[in-house]
Order: sequence, then structure tokens, then C-alpha cells
Amino acid sequence: MNKWLWLLFIITCWMAVGFAISGSMQGQNRDAPPLPTRPERIVCLAPNLTEILFALGLEKEIVGVTLHSDYPPAAAEKTKMGTFWQPNIEAIVAAKPNLVITLGFEQQKNLAERLKRIGYSSLMVNLEKVSHLFKVIAEIGSATGRQDRADALVTDIRQRLDKLSVLVGTRTKVRVLWVVQREPLRVAGRDTFVNEMIELAGGENAIGPTVHKYPPIGAEQVIACGADVIIEPAMTGEDLAVQQGQALKHWSKFRNLSAVVNRRVYVIRGDTVSRLGPRLYEGVETIARCLRPELFGN
Amino acid sequence: MSGIIEVENLSYGYTPTSTILKDISFEVKPGTFLAIAGPNGVGKSTLLNLMCRTLTPKSNTIRIDAVPIESYSTRALASKVAVVRQEFVPVFGFSVMEVVLMARTPYYGTMGFENEADRRIANEALEATDTVGFASRPLASLSGGERQRVLIARALAQDSPVLLLDEPTNFLDLRHQVGIYDLLKAAQLEKGKTIVVITHDINLANQYCDEVLLLSTDRKFHIGKTQDVFSPEQIKKVFGVEVFAGEVGREKFFIPLGKLAKDSRQISK
Amino acid sequence: MTQLLTPKKLIVRTGLALAVLVVVMFACSLIGTEDVSLKAVFGGAGSQTVANPDYEIFVKVRLPRIILAALVGAALASSGVVFQALLRNPLADPYILGISSGAGLGAIIAVISGLNWTLWGRSPIAVFAFVGALGTVWLVWFIGRLTGKFHLAGLLLAGVVVNAFFSAIIMFLTSIVKAQQVYATIFWLMGNMTEEDFLTLWVGAGCVAGGILALFYISPQLNALSFGADDARSMGINTARVRTIAFAIAAGITAIAVSLSGLIGFVGLIVPHAVRLVFGPDHRQLLPLSGIVGAIFLVVADTLARIIIAPAQLPVGVVTAIVGGPFFLILLVKYSRKVSWLK
Repeated sequence: MNKWLWLLFIITCWMAVGFAISGSMQGQNRDAPPLPTRPERIVCLAPNLTEILFALGLEKEIVGVTLHSDYPPAAAEKTKMGTFWQPNIEAIVAAKPNLVITLGFEQQKNLAERLKRIGYSSLMVNLEKVSHLFKVIAEIGSATGRQDRADALVTDIRQRLDKLSVLVGTRTKVRVLWVVQREPLRVAGRDTFVNEMIELAGGENAIGPTVHKYPPIGAEQVIACGADVIIEPAMTGEDLAVQQGQALKHWSKFRNLSAVVNRRVYVIRGDTVSRLGPRLYEGVETIARCLRPELFGN
Repeated sequence: MSGIIEVENLSYGYTPTSTILKDISFEVKPGTFLAIAGPNGVGKSTLLNLMCRTLTPKSNTIRIDAVPIESYSTRALASKVAVVRQEFVPVFGFSVMEVVLMARTPYYGTMGFENEADRRIANEALEATDTVGFASRPLASLSGGERQRVLIARALAQDSPVLLLDEPTNFLDLRHQVGIYDLLKAAQLEKGKTIVVITHDINLANQYCDEVLLLSTDRKFHIGKTQDVFSPEQIKKVFGVEVFAGEVGREKFFIPLGKLAKDSRQISK
Repeated sequence: MTQLLTPKKLIVRTGLALAVLVVVMFACSLIGTEDVSLKAVFGGAGSQTVANPDYEIFVKVRLPRIILAALVGAALASSGVVFQALLRNPLADPYILGISSGAGLGAIIAVISGLNWTLWGRSPIAVFAFVGALGTVWLVWFIGRLTGKFHLAGLLLAGVVVNAFFSAIIMFLTSIVKAQQVYATIFWLMGNMTEEDFLTLWVGAGCVAGGILALFYISPQLNALSFGADDARSMGINTARVRTIAFAIAAGITAIAVSLSGLIGFVGLIVPHAVRLVFGPDHRQLLPLSGIVGAIFLVVADTLARIIIAPAQLPVGVVTAIVGGPFFLILLVKYSRKVSWLK
């Protein structure tokens, strides 16, 4: 049994040494530095964050974006830091940022933790609702020393949205079915920013409250929803008119829906309505054009 | 003296309500070659498993070298009793030498390696079973008879005074059957081992074993010298088979004759 | 054909394997999506305000990850050896007795409960996964024993049933829970390496190395166990004690591995086979060598995961499956040829 005692002894020593070293390392570790007032090297990890930064005039300061940050076009030239789901921590470190902006969901939260452990501090923002958007623009504005531009941007978006709501008026709301996926059928529920955009454009979601944000639904619910308009964000890069024709054919089996009867099935460009960012107004206006084409002289 | 097995009032049942062995008592003196025989299901394997503590007997019903079997540590018991069961091929391809050396595991050094004495004992066991030529071959590459000899070599390598074997010659051809009994007899005569063999072969038992323990389904048992226990009447009573008894040299031989056997009319009476 | 193992042979082979491991770890730490120059690394950590990126990447991102990969690979491969020995089944892997579904269930419960606390900086997922893994193993062990003491078939069945049941619960929870949480769990379950802090790596390495050494101590007994418990006991081996120790240690180091890096498959199944094919079944050698080869395998797999679809990263479990699958098939064919005279 001697060798067992030896083993126990060695393991205990090993652990003790480990704790000792770890204790002495606490003092030496580079703490995550406080956020600078006017950061010169910014990495942002989501396409909508990129758009916000550009809108605040920070094009030169951006040193890293994620793979699908393609608006404005200049963003596509920036060094890629991995994808939105899996940012590449090595690339981030190599870019030597003094500010990293992340979203608040699990993956990126973990990343922020990891960055903190190796001495990089980050700004984490929650961007899930329209109200968040204004807050986030202000936050990023103050973190980067661009408060003025941030305020101006927020005011501008708000004004345009107000003008639109006046135009739309208080008529009966148009019932909208927003389809994000056909097979299996998935729609946008009431707890999404898409829903908020629909309401800003004078519509209401044909689907009632659901547990999931983007619930899978069955044909029954489609028949019962009474949608006046069906909107699908574009799936492919094909011509919109072609896609719209195909969509109409696909939905024509639901003959009782007024959307089908009145041939009000629309396919619209994805970006402005799937990314919650500074182009919020463009997105809402696009939707409004679908819901009340008569208001826009089309 | 070592290698004494004492069994006293041994009863055993696999479930609380059944009993397969009832009140068995016998003694095996050191250096005896004992055969255990009887019909299928009468409890021969059970008895063997009790004698090596694979099954646990009631306290003080079995004693090895005057010490109750339950008092032995696993290691100590292994140094007293070695068991050979039906030949078996493990999933992993160990060589013959590795298999035989496994018997020496309790005696390995601190870092888990065998020493000189272990290798010597293993080699002697290989020689005794005439398997030296296979030493570096995988166990799986041998024939059934050769494998059985290797397992006996492994048991011999335990260097124990008692050797128990459960039907060691099942499925073996004539040459291998005889070879194994010769081997066991040599171990008895040259090393003084106490050997207990479960067997179905009355004639081989007659030729090689000194005593036989005959178990019958009516829970009776007979133990004694083979010439006293084996007789046509006894065999008919226990096995329900007519045999023709004859003599070869000093020992009897028994030929079982069923109803349709060619010489069935030889059995008069 | 097969030679006996001697202490000298064992030491030489283990030493060589360790040397290869060190070289591989070093080489892989120089590979990644960013170019890192070794000279720059030696430049040191840099000042407080301007960090040296080469140093940062090498020391704080790559090295911890590679060390973790080595640690997890060694743990999974060694416990694979042990489970194959205990269950007398060359198709056993460390997850066969419920560890995988137990860890997964723990992980998803942690995610759903939305707990935000950390235990010494470890996320709750890791802790819950560890507890889930060990708890499930204990449950399987307990159920298996109800079928009769150490009855192998009963143990395996209990493992299969528990795995199926917990997997069903995991799928149920996955379907009713918010999308983001689901992705987080599934991503974790697919196996991934992240940079752990010093203390975690140190303690983990100590546990795994200590566990492997303890298993080495009982390797001769594991050899004898391949003949079954009855025969092993007749040879003088305390079967109950050996099985309990082996099972506990193997389950423990697997739970540690799984809690640190999610479920990485194939390592625990393939590596023991490959090493056994080349070096033979003697566990005194099989165990340490499998541990080292497992470490090498996972370090290489992780490096591939990091660079193959850069800038994105593959989960390590995907790489081990893609590499391991065909390799396993090749092994199977070779194996059957090796014992062809059996046919």
C-alpha cells in the first residue's frame, strides 16, 4: 500500500504548489483596463453594431468586424474576427483593440468573460427591442466620445418614425403573417423586434402571443390567423419579383386567407428588417409600403 | 501437511427456498486425486464453486488445511486453491506466457512487474503442461486442447497444494483427454497436489483417480476408493444406465449399453 | 510474436511518447489563424497599456487551450481503456454508462436555470455537467447492481436505458426552451476547447495524471480481469476492490474532462484500440501509452478544428468524429485480418 500513500502525497503536493502559484499570480496579472474615453481601436462583433459604429462616424477606428458585416460596403473591407456565433479570439487579440463591443447572448457573453480573463475589457449591449436600439446608440456614443452624433442619430430616427405614424394614422391595423422559414413553417411571434416594426408600420401580428419568439406553427394556425398580408424576408439573391411570384404560388393553397385572395404576398430584402440597427426607419417604411401601398403612391 | 479439504454438513441453495446440496460431508486427504461424478444438475459444479469460494458456503462448513474457507483473504486462498474452469478466450489477445504469468499477479513487485521467481514458476508450469512451444503465441491461436493445457499451466503457476478442475476434458479429442489426465496424475505424484476433478468419464476416473465422490439426485452421496464406489449396480442406480463391466489388468472398465446398442443383450440379470 | 513487457521497455516507450507529445504541443501552439513569431513571444508580456499581441495569443490563448486538449485527450483515452477492460468489451467507450447524457442534462439544466453565478470563475455549466456526469454514473452503477452483483449485462443495459431516458429529457427540454439557450447547450455539447485559467488547468492536470497513475497501479489486476471475475478471484485478485477503484477513477476523470470541454467522442474508443493493435493488450503499457496518444490525438484534432474553416471554428467533436470514423473502419479491417486464422 506504500505506493498509494506516495501517490496521495504527490497529488497533495501538486495541488498545494498549484494554489501557491495561483495566489502569487493574482498580483501580477494584468487587470482588464478601464474603458478609454476615446478608443482608437474598436472591434465589434455583430453586423448591426458595425452599422451603428459607422453611423456614428467611427469608420477609421474600427479594426475588426464579424463575417457578415456587409453594410455599409466599407465594412466588408475590415479584418474579419470570425462569425457572429463563433468569434475568433485569436484574431481579436491580434487586432490589439482597446474596446470590444459585444451583444448580450450566451456565446458572446462567454467570449466577453474570456477576454476579461486575459485582460481585455469589453462593452456588452443588449439589442433585442426597438427601445434597446436608442439606448444602445446612446451607450456606444458615450463610450466612444461621440455623444453628440449619437443624440442626433437617435433624434433623426425618432422624427422619421413619428412622421410615418402620422401618415399611417389610426386606421384599422393590417393583419400581418411574417414568415421566416417555410419548411418547417416558422413565423415571427409577438415578442420580437420584427413585431415592433410591424406595429410601427400600422400593422398587427396575425399570430397571437406564443412561448417562442419564432414559433413553428401548423397549417391550422395559418388558416385561422386571418392574415391580410403575408411578408417573407428574401431567402435568396434572386430577383425579388421572381421570388414574389414563387411565394404567391406557395401560399395559394390557403385559399381562405384574404392575403392570398387579394394577392398581397410580399418578399422583401432581408437586411433592414432582420437587423435591428440604424436603418430601422428604412425597414419600417418598407413594411409600411407593403401594408398600405396606397399611402405611398405606388 | 497441506492440501487437506474438509467438508462438513455442507448444504447450499441458489434461492432461499431451493436446496441443491444437502448435508454433504467428506474429507480429502493431501495428495489425493478425487473425481466428482454424478448426473447433470446434481450440484457438482456448485460443490466445486463452494470449494473455491466462488459461491459462499455457510461458516465452518468447508475447511482448507484446517482453516475455515471464509477466513482466508482472497490472496491467501489463491495460494491454497487453484481452479481450472472451461477453457475460455478473453477478448483481448494475451499470449500464453502472459496468461500463465497472470497467476503470479498477487506476488508482483511494487511497480506491478513479475520477478525471477515468478518467471521460474511460470516456466515450470509451461514445461509440466508441455506448452513451452506456445509461450509467445496468442492464446486465441491455439486449439481447444492446447488452450485447456495453458489454463492448467496457469493454475499450476499459482503453486497451490489444491487443484480443482471443472470438466477439463469436455470437447477434447481422445489424445488430449488422456494427455490432460496424465498431466494431472503427474502433478499429483510428483508435486503431491490434491486434485479434484469433475468428470463425466467413468473409465478415465477409474484409471487415474484414487477416490470418487458420487452424487446422486436423491441427495445421497458416496465417497470412497474408485474400485469400491463404481459398480454396475451403483452406476445403474445413480445414472440410470446399464453398463457392462469387464476387467483390464487390475482395474475394471465399464461400457454403457443402451437399449439399442449392438451388445445390449450382454447385460443379462 | 508477442514479447513480454519489461520495466525497461515500458519506461523507454513512455518516455519516447512523452517526448513526442511535447513536440506536438509545441508545434501546434505555433499554428493558428494568426501568425505568431516565437521571437516576439519571448519579448515578454509588454507594458500595461500596450500588450504584445504575439505573447498574448501564444501564452494566453493558445497554450492554455493546447494544454486543456492534452489533458482531456489523456483522460478520455485512459478511461476508455479501463471501461473496455471492466466491461470486457472492445466497443466500450467512456460514455457508455451514462456519463454523456448525464453531463448533457446537467448542462442544459444549468443553461435553463439562467444562473449567473460562478464557482471560482467556473461557469455553472461546467459544475452542473460534472455533477450530472458523476450522478448518472452512480445511478447506472446502482441500477446495475440491482440485477446482481457486478453482472455485466445488467450494467450495460442500465447504461443504455439511462442514456436513452436522459437523452429524451434533453430533447424535450431543448424543444420548449428559448432558441439562444438551446444553441448554447448544443454548442457546448459538441465539444469545444477554450482557454482556462491557470488553476483550473493545474488542478485538472493533477487529477488526470494522478488518476492515470492510480490506474497503472492496478493494471496487472485489470489484465487478469479479462478472464472474468470468477477466474480473477481464483487467481487471488480482490475483484470487487479493483473494479470499484477502476470504475470510480475512470468515471471521475471522464467527468472532469466532460465538464471542461463538453462531449468529445471517438477518443475514448479509438485510441485504446490503436495502441492495443500496435503494442498489445497488457494494461501496464496500454494505459499510460493510451493516455499519451490520446493527448496527442486531441491536440492535433483541436488544431485542425481551429484552422480548417477559419475564421470560424469547428467543434472539436466534429473533427474527432471525421478523423476517427474512417480510422476506426481501417482498424476494424486490419484487426479482422490479424486474427484471420481464427476463421
